[in-house]
This record gives sequence, structure tokens and C-alpha cells, in this order.
Amino acid sequence: MERFRALFQHFQSSSESVTNGLCLLLAALTIKIYSSFDFNCPCLARYNTLYGLGLLLTPPLALFLCGLLVNRQSVVMVEEWHRPVGQRRKDAGIVRYMCSSVLQRALAAPLVWILLALLDGKCFVCAFSNSVDPEKFLDLANMTPSQVQLFLAKVPCKEDELVRDSPARKAVSRYLRCLSQALGWSLTLLLILAAFLARCLRPCFDQTVFLQRRYWSNYVDLEQKLFDETCCEHARDFAHRCVLHFFASMRGELRAWGLRRDASHLSPEPAVVPPEPPEDPEDPDSGRRKAHLRAICSREQVDGLLSSWYCSKPPLDLTASPGLWGSGLSRRAPLVAPGTTLSQHTDV
Amino acid sequence: MDKFRMIFQFLQSNQESFMNGICGIMALASAQMYSAFDFNCPCLPGYNAAYSVGILLAPPLVLFLLGLVLNNNVSMLAEEWKRPLGRRAKDPAVLRYMFCSMAQRALIAPVVWVAVTLLDGKCFLCAFCTAVPVAALGNGSLAPALPAPELARLLARVPCPEIYDGDWLLAREVAVRYLRCISQALGWSFVLLTTLLAFVVRSVRPCFTQAAFLKSKYWSHYIDIERKLFDETCTEHAKAFAKVCIQQFFEAVSHDLELGHAHGALATATAASAAHSPTDGAAEERDKLRGITDQGTMNRLLMSWHKCRPPLHLGQEQPLLSNGWAGAGPRAPRREVATYLSRV
Repeated sequence: MERFRALFQHFQSSSESVTNGLCLLLAALTIKIYSSFDFNCPCLARYNTLYGLGLLLTPPLALFLCGLLVNRQSVVMVEEWHRPVGQRRKDAGIVRYMCSSVLQRALAAPLVWILLALLDGKCFVCAFSNSVDPEKFLDLANMTPSQVQLFLAKVPCKEDELVRDSPARKAVSRYLRCLSQALGWSLTLLLILAAFLARCLRPCFDQTVFLQRRYWSNYVDLEQKLFDETCCEHARDFAHRCVLHFFASMRGELRAWGLRRDASHLSPEPAVVPPEPPEDPEDPDSGRRKAHLRAICSREQVDGLLSSWYCSKPPLDLTASPGLWGSGLSRRAPLVAPGTTLSQHTDV
Repeated sequence: MDKFRMIFQFLQSNQESFMNGICGIMALASAQMYSAFDFNCPCLPGYNAAYSVGILLAPPLVLFLLGLVLNNNVSMLAEEWKRPLGRRAKDPAVLRYMFCSMAQRALIAPVVWVAVTLLDGKCFLCAFCTAVPVAALGNGSLAPALPAPELARLLARVPCPEIYDGDWLLAREVAVRYLRCISQALGWSFVLLTTLLAFVVRSVRPCFTQAAFLKSKYWSHYIDIERKLFDETCTEHAKAFAKVCIQQFFEAVSHDLELGHAHGALATATAASAAHSPTDGAAEERDKLRGITDQGTMNRLLMSWHKCRPPLHLGQEQPLLSNGWAGAGPRAPRREVATYLSRV
């Protein structure tokens, strides 16, 4: 019991900390990708805007989708949204809560990219160099409009022979970088302010509903994890018994065919079954758990169990008798004595 | 053993993050391989395209196959696919699930390679330098004067700065910037498309086949575990077999020696008692043999495991090898018990 409690607490902290860790990892990866990416403005009239804006918006979109992909909770949320009602009511508030939590975490990496791009300035300079008003800069006054456009298109490329060492280029570039950084810092301030307000003001609205939704969304996540874990344990148990059964059948077969050699000197009393292992003194519930798993021992029963889990999740009521659960499992042997129902389920 | 089970459960429950970690490592390895690779454009008209396409497509194929080869589950899939039907039906949904999950993991490294190649731009530059629109980017008036092969030869040298001699026609930097820009745009589009596809597949799947998916996941995991447990049981049996064999050999040798050296009733009594009173440890080993005590029987067992997998139903007591032979003999009623291999 103590061990299970420690494991449970670990799961509890691990779900959130794993998601937060992944979120931070993705943000760090974004920074690394941005710094190793070789920015390459084409310095051609129409291509500049496309390239600059494309680079400002496409990677964030891809990173957002990546953030949704690596987060396990997004799949849990979709499953909860789409499951048949069965014996358990569906609460749209829980799905909304999970959705907002998933989205918040997925938005971290794209925002990091956008802020980096704006604070760095190269994207902005590339995208908007042709949109600058030439009248702001005295050096451009002597050029014809087409020459001005050509010049402005080449502003992002420092080494181009047309604009090399040109003070006008430096002026335009500085102007655009300044705008870009102002925009970047404003966006940062706005986001942090929004996050701060959201965090501080949330307790003013519907705190009880919020607490309930947080609890049940956490519950749904943990329940799915525990179900997967129990399935794994059951599969292992099933496989073990299947293999041992196979070996024992072979032995039985040999005996029936009289092919066994005179084995009397090998074993005084051939054991028909392997001896049951002693009950683990630290885990008195292991016997009841084994009884629970033992009853499901064929392909049809397992398929029935899994279908029933999907189509009709059990009600969130631990005092209900297990006989009422699942229409496809009527052949199941009685698991435990009725008096011990509550304690058995709290162990699971 | 309990500690092992706890760790096993933890790994299984966190398999999602474990698999994510593996994918991340493969992606990093692929990116690292690319940066370590020394790209070397030939700068000759016919060879550029072939070299670039080769670099863009051959390593991803190799990485994909490597990803499949290094995955232990490939042999499990092949085994399950090819085994005779026996007494256990085959489920194509399970095979599909196993193949899909392996292919998904194996596709990560090739996708990263292609993305990194396009984002870097050298490959694209090498492949398409002869297709640059000279009229738009350079001195368009001079281009028609050149014969096509000469133009191609000139433009093919764009990726190699030290031998490029066409600055009068087209500035090298302009061409390089143009091609790299297109390459990077293609690269980011490719990345976006791939992530969108993965997202759609992962998010939309629970809307359609969730019940079937749960079953396939369970049974594919079951097949994996069963194979491992069978191997473990066979290893345990082989160990016990070997121990008993060696023990019998030593007993036989010592019996022979005693018969040879010592005569009389004492020697006979000792030999008899030695032959018929095994020690506790020896009894334990013989129990592990589960009655299978010779090579022919073991071979038959292994063949039967492959040819005629037992049904997924533990309540039945049917003969293993024969088809419905009634004279199975009296059997003691058996309880189904779960024994954990604590001695492995």
C-alpha cells in the first residue's frame, strides 16, 4: 500500500512535470533551431515579403503542431471528447479545461520563435524593406522610383555591391530593426501581462468549478494511464500462463502417448503444476489482484473487456456493485466476496 | 522481483515519453550526420543534378531501412506474419498496427534529413543552378548570345565560388540567394506538411477506430511479451537440463570409479543411495524440467510452438499434438495458477 501510494504520487507529479518538461525542451529546441538557421533574404522585390513573413509564421505553426503532437494529453482529450456516453456522463467543461491546458503548453515554442525573430530583426527588415517610405531618408531623394525600389530590395543584404557601405542602407536597416525590436518587446510585455492577469484573476471567477474540472481532467488522464498499465500487467500474466500451459500440455501429451522415459528416478512425485508462490507479506492485496486477473483468460474475454471499456466506461461511483458494470462480461466469475468490494477497488 | 515489476510498469506506463525520447535522439543523430557530411558539388552540367538528387534521397532510404533493422519488433512482426495458423487465428489488424508503429518510428530520421538538407540549401543550389532565370536576375541582354551548352557550363559553376567565371552575366551571390531562398521555403513547407499530417493522423484516429485500436495495441503487446516469456522459459529449461545432465554425468563417473576402486556391499549401498536420493537442489532442477527430458521431446515442443501456437484460451484441456484423440489418459484436475519466474 505504501509503495502504491508512493507510485501514485509519482504519477501525479510526473504527468504535469513531464508535460512542462517537454514544453521547456521544445522551447530550448526552438532557440537552437533559430540560432543555427542560416537566414538568407533573397533581396528581390516580390520575394522579400514572402520570405520574411513566411519565416515569421511557418515555423511557429510547425512548432505549434509539434507541441500538440508530443503532448499525450491531447490524445486523451480527443478520446474523452469522442467516447460513447455509456454509464458515465460526459462533461464538456472537462474537455474544455484539457483543451486550454494543452493549447497553452503548445503555444510556448511558437511564441519563443516569433519573439526571437522580432527581437533579432532580420525577418522584419527582409519583409518590409520595400514598404519603407523613401521620403524619410534624404539619400534616396535623388533616385528614380524604380531605382529606389531596387535599392530598398537590397537593403537586407549587406554585402551586395549596390548597397555596400551605403549610409542610406544603414539608415533604413536601423529604422526597420528599431521598429522590429519595439514590436518584439511590446509583444513580450503584452503576453506576460496577459499571463499575469489570467493567473491572478482566475480565482475571482468560478473557483469551485475550476477546481472540479482540474480534478476530473487529472483523473481522466491518470485513469487512462492506469488502464494501460493494468492491460500490460494482464498481458504479461496471460502470456506467462499461456506458455506454462503449453509446456504442461506437452508433458501431458507425452504421458498419454507413453513416450516419457522412465522418469521415476528423476523426480519422486512429478508435480503437475508449478507450486504457487507464497503470498508477498508486504503486499497482501496481490492475491486478490491475481484473482481479478485470473478470471479473464481468453481472447474473446479480453476483446469484450476492451470493447466494454471503450463503449461504456464504468460510472464514477465506487460503491456500485461490480455486477452492474459492462454488458459484455456477464460470463465473468465473481471476483471477490461482496463485503470486500470497496477495499478491492481502492487498491486498484 | 517486485522491484523489477515496478520498474517494468513504470517504463510501460511512460512508454510514450520513452518513445518520444527515442524519436528525438534519432532526429538529432540525423541532423548531426548531415552537419558532419562534407557536401561537394561537382559543378559540371550533367552531374550536378544526379549528385544532388542522390544526396537528397539515398541517405533517407538508408536511414529508414536502418530504423527498421534496429527495431527488435521487426522480427516479431515477420514471425507473426509467417507462422502457420495452428490453433490460433491471425488478426490482420494487429499486424497492421505493429507495422504502422514501426514505420512511424523509422520515418523520423529520413524526414529530418530531408528537412535539414532543404533548409541548408546546398543540395538545391547544386541541383538547380543551371535553371536560374538569368534574364530576371542578371544581365538578361547578354544571355541569348551564349549557346545553351556554354550557358549551362557557366551556370553549373555557381555552387563553386573558386571557379565561377560568369560575374559578367550573373552575380554569383544573387543566384545563390535566390536558390537558397526557394530551397528554404520548400524545406519549411515540407516540415509544416509533415507535422500537419502527423497531427491529423494522431488526433483524428481516436474519432474512428478507438475500440479496434485498443484491441490491436493489447494483442501486439501480448505477442511481444509472450515471445519474450517463451524465450525465458526455454532458457530456464535449458539451464535445468544442462545442470541435470552434468550432474548425472558426474554421478555416473563417480559411480564407475567407486565400482572400480571399492568393492563390497558398502560401495554398492553407497552407489544405490547416490543414484536414488537426489539432493534438494537437484529435485528443484528436475522440477524445472517440467517432464521434458530429452532432445527429441524438446525439438518436438519447439516445432509445435511454431507450427501450432496454442489458442488464446486458458480454460481448455485439449491434447496438444493429436487431433481429437480421445485416449488422453487420466489427468489430475489442474488449477490455473500464476507463477512468476522468480528464479530466472
